[in-house]
Amino acid sequence: MPTVVVMDVSLSMTRPVSVEGSEEYQRKHLAIHGLTMLFEHMATNYKLEFTALVVFSSLWELMVPFTRDYNTLQEALSNMDDYDKTCLEAALLGVCNIVQQEWGAAIPCQVVLVTDGCLGIGRGSLRHSLATHNQRSENNRFPLPFPFPSKLYVMCMANLEELQSSDSLDCLERLIDLNNGEGQIFTIDGPLCLKNVQSMFGKLIDLAYTPFHAVLKCGHLTSDVQVFPRPEPFIIDEEIDPTPKAINTDLEIVGFIDIADISSPPVLSRHLVLPIALNKEGDELGPGITDDTEDENSANQIAGKIPNFCVLLHGSLKVEGMVAIVQLGPEWYGMLYSQADSKKKSNLMMSLFEPGPEPLPWLGKMAQLGPISDAKENPYGEDDNKSPFPLQPKNKRSYAQNVTVWIKPSGLQTDVQKILRNARKLPEKTQTFYKELNRLRKAALAFGFLDLLKGVADMLERECTLLPDTAHPDAAFQLTHAAQQLKVASTGTSEYTAYDHNITPLQTDFSGSSAERM
Amino acid sequence: MKIFAESHKTVFVVDHCPYMAESCRQHVEFDMLVKNRTQGIIPLAPISKSLWTCSVESSMEYCRIMYDIFPFKKLVNFIVSDSGAHVLNSWTQEDQNLQELMAALAAVGPPNPHADPECCSILHGLVTAVEALCKITEYQHEARTMLMENAERVGNRGRIICITNAKSDSHVRMLEECVQETIHEHNKLAANSDHLMQIQKCELVLIHTYPVGEDSLVSDRPKKELSSVLTSEVHSVRAGRHLATKLNVLVQQHFDLASTTITNIPMKEEQHANTSANYDVELLHHKEAHVDFIKSGDNHIGGNSREGTFKETVTLKWCTPRTNSVELHYCTGAYRISPVDVNSRPSSCLTNFLLNGRSVLLEQPRKSGSKVISHMLSSHGGEIFLHVLSSSRSILEDPPSISEGCGGRVTDYRITDFGEFMRENRLTPFLEPRGSLEIPLERAKDQLEKHTRYWPMIISQTTIFNMQAVVPLASVIVKEALTDEDILNCQKTIYNLVDMERKNDPLPISTVGTRGKGPKRDEQYRIMWNELETLVRAHINNSDKHQRVLECLLACRSKPPEEEERKKRGRKREEKEDKSEKSGKDYEPDKPWQESERLKGVLDREKEELAEAEIIKDSPDSPEPPNKKPLVTMDEMPPVEKAKGPMSLLSLWSNRINTANSRKHQEFIGRLNSVNNKAELYQHLKEDNGMETTENGKGSRQ
Repeated sequence: MPTVVVMDVSLSMTRPVSVEGSEEYQRKHLAIHGLTMLFEHMATNYKLEFTALVVFSSLWELMVPFTRDYNTLQEALSNMDDYDKTCLEAALLGVCNIVQQEWGAAIPCQVVLVTDGCLGIGRGSLRHSLATHNQRSENNRFPLPFPFPSKLYVMCMANLEELQSSDSLDCLERLIDLNNGEGQIFTIDGPLCLKNVQSMFGKLIDLAYTPFHAVLKCGHLTSDVQVFPRPEPFIIDEEIDPTPKAINTDLEIVGFIDIADISSPPVLSRHLVLPIALNKEGDELGPGITDDTEDENSANQIAGKIPNFCVLLHGSLKVEGMVAIVQLGPEWYGMLYSQADSKKKSNLMMSLFEPGPEPLPWLGKMAQLGPISDAKENPYGEDDNKSPFPLQPKNKRSYAQNVTVWIKPSGLQTDVQKILRNARKLPEKTQTFYKELNRLRKAALAFGFLDLLKGVADMLERECTLLPDTAHPDAAFQLTHAAQQLKVASTGTSEYTAYDHNITPLQTDFSGSSAERM
Repeated sequence: MKIFAESHKTVFVVDHCPYMAESCRQHVEFDMLVKNRTQGIIPLAPISKSLWTCSVESSMEYCRIMYDIFPFKKLVNFIVSDSGAHVLNSWTQEDQNLQELMAALAAVGPPNPHADPECCSILHGLVTAVEALCKITEYQHEARTMLMENAERVGNRGRIICITNAKSDSHVRMLEECVQETIHEHNKLAANSDHLMQIQKCELVLIHTYPVGEDSLVSDRPKKELSSVLTSEVHSVRAGRHLATKLNVLVQQHFDLASTTITNIPMKEEQHANTSANYDVELLHHKEAHVDFIKSGDNHIGGNSREGTFKETVTLKWCTPRTNSVELHYCTGAYRISPVDVNSRPSSCLTNFLLNGRSVLLEQPRKSGSKVISHMLSSHGGEIFLHVLSSSRSILEDPPSISEGCGGRVTDYRITDFGEFMRENRLTPFLEPRGSLEIPLERAKDQLEKHTRYWPMIISQTTIFNMQAVVPLASVIVKEALTDEDILNCQKTIYNLVDMERKNDPLPISTVGTRGKGPKRDEQYRIMWNELETLVRAHINNSDKHQRVLECLLACRSKPPEEEERKKRGRKREEKEDKSEKSGKDYEPDKPWQESERLKGVLDREKEELAEAEIIKDSPDSPEPPNKKPLVTMDEMPPVEKAKGPMSLLSLWSNRINTANSRKHQEFIGRLNSVNNKAELYQHLKEDNGMETTENGKGSRQ
């Protein structure tokens, strides 16, 4: 989930903070202090996150485009100038554009808005934006809700009392509501000071930027891993089951499937599975932090030399062209596979299927998948030349079962032509002729289209009269028989209109000998 | 879409009254003269469909598209109405297919134009439709049972699509009122019933259809709320293809469908097989498949499709198939499709191509000329899906390579062996409930547990898995149950190993990290036997037969010298016991000799360990030979723990200290022979009673 930090650089952010007995701080400094802490945390624990920095007043500017280089972001914080008034709507619109240009509309983003709760005055102020919210056309719609899945975190450089004294808090709450409730407002607890700002940003980090640690298991083979980005809780059905489901921290492999069988399944999200080395205190050694870089390097080197199940699994998945099916929770599954970023680099990746007992119709119910050793004979064949997948659905779809649709005249004409073509090749095409004839008969009966039966009967009778002299005598018999059978069906009398009844070829006695005479 | 939204239950009520037998007055030429046919034949007169035929085939088309795209959980109940209501199917999933409906319609047949119009009414059907909506579907039942006390969360909404020929606007109003009243009454009934559900929302879609060329007596009316439960809309539509178009539009609205036109499909010409022309095929699917276009506002929506009054379609270009089945695309959604014109030649060519197992990538036509592949058509088991492929920048780009992380520097992973392991642990669907009640997936987990009890990850950690000779045993010992043949194979394997040892065949012991030649041959065999024993021991609780394999192994494996001695002694004692049974106690005098022999054995071993320590002294990286583990831990550690791979620094260190210490003193005999660090006193008393104490001694060495 990429992050956009949206920093208020209006004049009100330069308001001094009265801290007794220390040098003078502005709210801006508090904000920078908090963001520094956030960036430091990300640089060590959440390195793969892309973050962009936007500053805004009445205008907005993309200071740092999406990057994983936290030094650049850090530097930018110290290069911010002060500008005029707050104009939030324009900035949010800017965020929309930046995110969509970079990531499209499908990737969830976190927007961290840092402001002092002074929401501007006059046109462009949040108050004005909200007041005119209902009078907007499609062309200048309010940027919230964001067109991409999002969380909007508002970090206020003000405490609750201050915000409540004006209507700022209400306005900010409206903002979250407009984003479909996706987001949260953070305020400073107690007096404005560095310590309290830290604790506020600490809360944000706990909520949104703690790495997700899990244990990947395959029987007794295990590995501690970090899953990045964090898998977010998922709501299966708003109406019946409105509680969000989170994935287990035990990721249990239940078996393996060939890539061709799993066949590019739809997934909710993709995550890197990075092996980590945990020491006893639970701190990580792998892609994590140690105070001393030298220590880190040597620790990494040791960790690199200890065999890790993830690496083994990744290697074999890659070589065999398979995926591992992993259980994420009750009735929730995903798959592990090797994903190549370039020719050299590849990684263990996990994709999450939609929760539910049967996320992929072509695999059937997940709980019904069992080990091949339980099957009477190996479903993959002794030479590994077949597969039990995909599962065939009970009923065929219309395009796979030759349905009859006569809505367009061409559909009807094609079907009649087919009968006619076969009629002219009787008796060789007797079987196809009757097959097509019966198909037409069934459809005409179902649609109550008896006139058609009569019409086709007439046509077959005419064909009979047009038969060339060289025609096989059987042709005339079959045509007459078929025409007569259609005619009785077209009367609508129930004994002839049974849907399941089939017109069968007339039993004639033109044995091989007569054919030879021809 | 919620599961139990209006679209969960659709009731079709089609008028079967005498006037529906009237012609729609739209002619269909069915006798098309083929070229080169005899001149002078007058084609047969065109025929026309009745209002009934038009209504039925349009509603069947609605159902066809719905069943194609939502084969489950979207249900249709079909009712025809004349002098009474005829319900053609039920809500059950088995009844939900075109064949069933077609057969039922054929049984009803066309309306009888000579029936008494006074007895016939669409009202019978509408009343029955409301009744049907109160009936619980199997999905609703399942959800209610699952939620128990929260059963009221399960919604009951539905839609009635009524195709009739109304007389006037007031006639329409009368029908609406009737539906509203019936809902009111039936909701009262349902409130007191366990089998019925109250209708929370009902959408009434009244379609007035009339012959082409006549004036409509009923006016269109958009959706209007008649009560908190009922909304109603009126469509006045000419029969024939107009009615079909209307229902096609409705099915898209009702099920949130969208249209995609695949363009530039190369297809062989019927007449000229060597040329190909490009065709377009229009498909319907859930509109989520267009989510990227809708949200980004990047609607490069093509011109309205030919029939279209309402329809918009997104055009995607066919890419010559360059994808293969072993490529795993990042796909964010897959949606079933239904061709708009299912029987046309381009449609059936496309669907047959896909049903044969090929996939097609689809490309967004962009003005800039850059190529963006956004979708893929692919079939899975006879169903065609439109896959949405992610075309935006990945947030996971440039990740650290797996070789840079933990375990990334290790180069001798048993990749091939694990590949084999994965293939053995592939999954397969079990359709019919199996004899045992166990869930297949739990069986799969169980098997993985068994197969990984002893599974060294790297080549230098194992000897037995590098030996072809062990394969017959290793492959069957992990099984839940062994056949007699399996046991035989295991025994053969063990005998074979004994044979190898006798012949002094070399073993593939890893010498990585060790200097010199590595352990001596007999030491190699000891490592191998220990490892094999660990493997077999991990499975002895599976069955008695596994136990028998272990017994065979223990009986055959070569023992360190002192154990050889003990074995000899054991044999002697056996003989002696035989004797003693006959001739009483002439056993005692042997004891001092035995003891001295044992002491000698101990000393021998010390020497051996000294030699070992010498070899590995300078290379702490070398794999720890299994027999180097401290005596006590050897016994206490469950085999599973051993499988856990590398030793901790602590155990390396304490090993070394123990070895060093052991060199400084002679170990107490009692401790040497102890089990779990407990020595049994007065063993001979038991021996006198015929107990096997030597087993204790052996135990401590394992």
